[in-house]
Amino acid sequence: MTRIEVTGLYKAFGLQQVLRGVDFEAAQGTCTALLGPSGSGKTTVLRSLNTLEIPDQGVVRIEDVSVDFTTMPSRKERDRLRAQSAMVFQAHNLFPHRTVLENIIEGPVIAQKRPREEAVADAKVLLEQVGISDKLDAYPAQLSGGQQQRVGIARALALKPRVVLFDEPTSALDPELVGEVLAVIRDLAGQGWTMVIVTHEVRFAQQVADQVLFLDGGVIVERGPSAQVIGDPQEARTRQFLARILDQV
Amino acid sequence: MRSLVLLLQLFLLAPLLASPAQAAEQPVVRVGTEGTYPPFSFHDSKTGQLTGYDVDVIKAIGQKAGWRLEFVETQWDAIFPALESKRLDVIANQVAITDARKAKYGLSATYTYSRGVVVRRKGDERIKSLADIKGKTTAQSSTSSWAKVARDAGANIEAVEGVTQAAALLAEGRVDAIVNDNIAILDYLSSTGSDKVEIVGTVDDKIGEQALAFRKDDPLLAQANQAITELKADGTLRGISERYFKADVSVPDGGDVSSQRGHRSIWAIVGETAWPMFLALLKVTIPLTALSFAIGLLLALFVALARISPVRALSGLARAFISIIRGTPLLLQLFIVFYGLPQIGLKFDSFTAATIAFSLNVAGYAAEVIRSAILAVPRGQFEAAATVGLSPAQAYRRIILPQAGRIAVPPLSNTLLSLVKDTSLGSVVLLTEMFRVSQLAAAESNEFLALYSFAGLYYWLICVGLSAIQKRTEARLSRYVIA
Repeated sequence: MTRIEVTGLYKAFGLQQVLRGVDFEAAQGTCTALLGPSGSGKTTVLRSLNTLEIPDQGVVRIEDVSVDFTTMPSRKERDRLRAQSAMVFQAHNLFPHRTVLENIIEGPVIAQKRPREEAVADAKVLLEQVGISDKLDAYPAQLSGGQQQRVGIARALALKPRVVLFDEPTSALDPELVGEVLAVIRDLAGQGWTMVIVTHEVRFAQQVADQVLFLDGGVIVERGPSAQVIGDPQEARTRQFLARILDQV
Repeated sequence: MRSLVLLLQLFLLAPLLASPAQAAEQPVVRVGTEGTYPPFSFHDSKTGQLTGYDVDVIKAIGQKAGWRLEFVETQWDAIFPALESKRLDVIANQVAITDARKAKYGLSATYTYSRGVVVRRKGDERIKSLADIKGKTTAQSSTSSWAKVARDAGANIEAVEGVTQAAALLAEGRVDAIVNDNIAILDYLSSTGSDKVEIVGTVDDKIGEQALAFRKDDPLLAQANQAITELKADGTLRGISERYFKADVSVPDGGDVSSQRGHRSIWAIVGETAWPMFLALLKVTIPLTALSFAIGLLLALFVALARISPVRALSGLARAFISIIRGTPLLLQLFIVFYGLPQIGLKFDSFTAATIAFSLNVAGYAAEVIRSAILAVPRGQFEAAATVGLSPAQAYRRIILPQAGRIAVPPLSNTLLSLVKDTSLGSVVLLTEMFRVSQLAAAESNEFLALYSFAGLYYWLICVGLSAIQKRTEARLSRYVIA
């Protein structure tokens, strides 16, 4: 069974139809990259996966939890689906009044009711992994942007999710800090995490993603292995987009 | 006379000059007194010490005369036999001077004059003297001799248990006057601070005199009379009397409460009022502020959450509540709770009513502060809290409110400072908070500027203290923010 299955996703904000029937699947341990111009609906797809947005129609299944949004799902259903994934935000959204360690153990201890010692031990391993094990007691404001985003990644991983969602994780960073965050994400892909990532880093997507979905106007225009979609796009709109993005560099 | 003064001076100097062994030879004078007769002779409820007007008077006399006093608390029935059997040397217990006692005992100069007075409701111009009570109703203890005086003057008698009840009936307008002993009335006025009733006239032929009783021919009597003369001359006796009765009962024409005023300096008045004001601050103003603020904040939190709620009915209710509280005067809110609600069966005492009104008022204002503070927390914080699995309640408690709190502290401090000062409105619902105490003192002494300025100083000091706390709280809540 595939890990993620999305069928017939529709979403409108007021009169603006943002998603017009999005379907895709992702296998366990793969990295899926969502590319597309701004307003194409890629972030809405990602946020629908953990119900930060509630689609108007469609079915989202992650592992064994499936929610049909055609009728408004109950809080409980949504919470079950949300618990399957974890989100890394563009603006990291760390809790500013909590230390690095407290940020990471908040979910495990309070929501998942795991023993605090265990959560702290796990958090230390994760911080080691993202390369900031010396900042346990720092407040987020005392860290650089790259460090903040790496703590954000550790906070997501600490939930032990089936899927890790990244919403433009490097877009808010100064250019010289992008590399350290991408390196961490690349490591995660190597460790077999199932990931969905919305990004503008085309070269990175090409290297790391197993499949690339190119969205435009609320539908998936082109999909396939990253080497194919980015290296040899078939659709005119994909080619235009890639040309525009890559020419900037 | 001169030799007597010399002798007295010797007595006074003796303790200074004499060795301890000689000091022990000061005459020991055993004083008989009831100890259960307030305000003349009783035990202070706080300290347990024997005190009272008579106790203070005999102490002052003893000091002048160079006696060592030994108090012997004795029942009234046994007090004269104890004097005769030399177990006591003097009785200080409002012994009334009568011809029979004059013949049998050595009675000192008078140190208490009492007389009948007519008491009316404050400002009731119909009653100016005993003659005016004809056809009116007076409140009297039915067995007292004053009831007879009133009846003889043509008044109807409403029988009561004592002065307190009589004064209450008079204040409420159920009776027109009281005829009673001035000392009982003065004691009532002084101990309750009541300004609802006042003394207007005297019953002239009824002057009573009270004195110390010694054994006939006891040389102590002469010393006592000398001391009383001196104590009257130097104002000591008047001071003691004013302490208990706010009037001088040691002279025949004393007892007019207002006649004693205006002699004291502003500093004395402010000094006397400072402590009662401080106590009222401690016992009423501060607890009222703290309680109202705590309850008000809690209410405000719920109102703010209701206001943000997507449920229309809830947000509508919250909006209406805020609008009403902010759109009506605080004074009116106090009046509605204290005077209005009893008409639909909800009766509260002054403190409770004030707490309710102030809490609701704080809630109305603080709700908007808290709402805007919550909305000022970035949306991403709600989302991040949700994605790590926190329930909405957990998210609010652990993530949103701590951050909103930091934003809300400065405006909420304003609310608190306003509240401290607004508690002065409590006086209109009969709450004796600090400002009320200064009002009462000012009305009595006419020192408005001094007393109100002093009250202002107290409020200002509290607000300075609270501002300092605000500063520290802000610093503590902002420790995670890098400047």
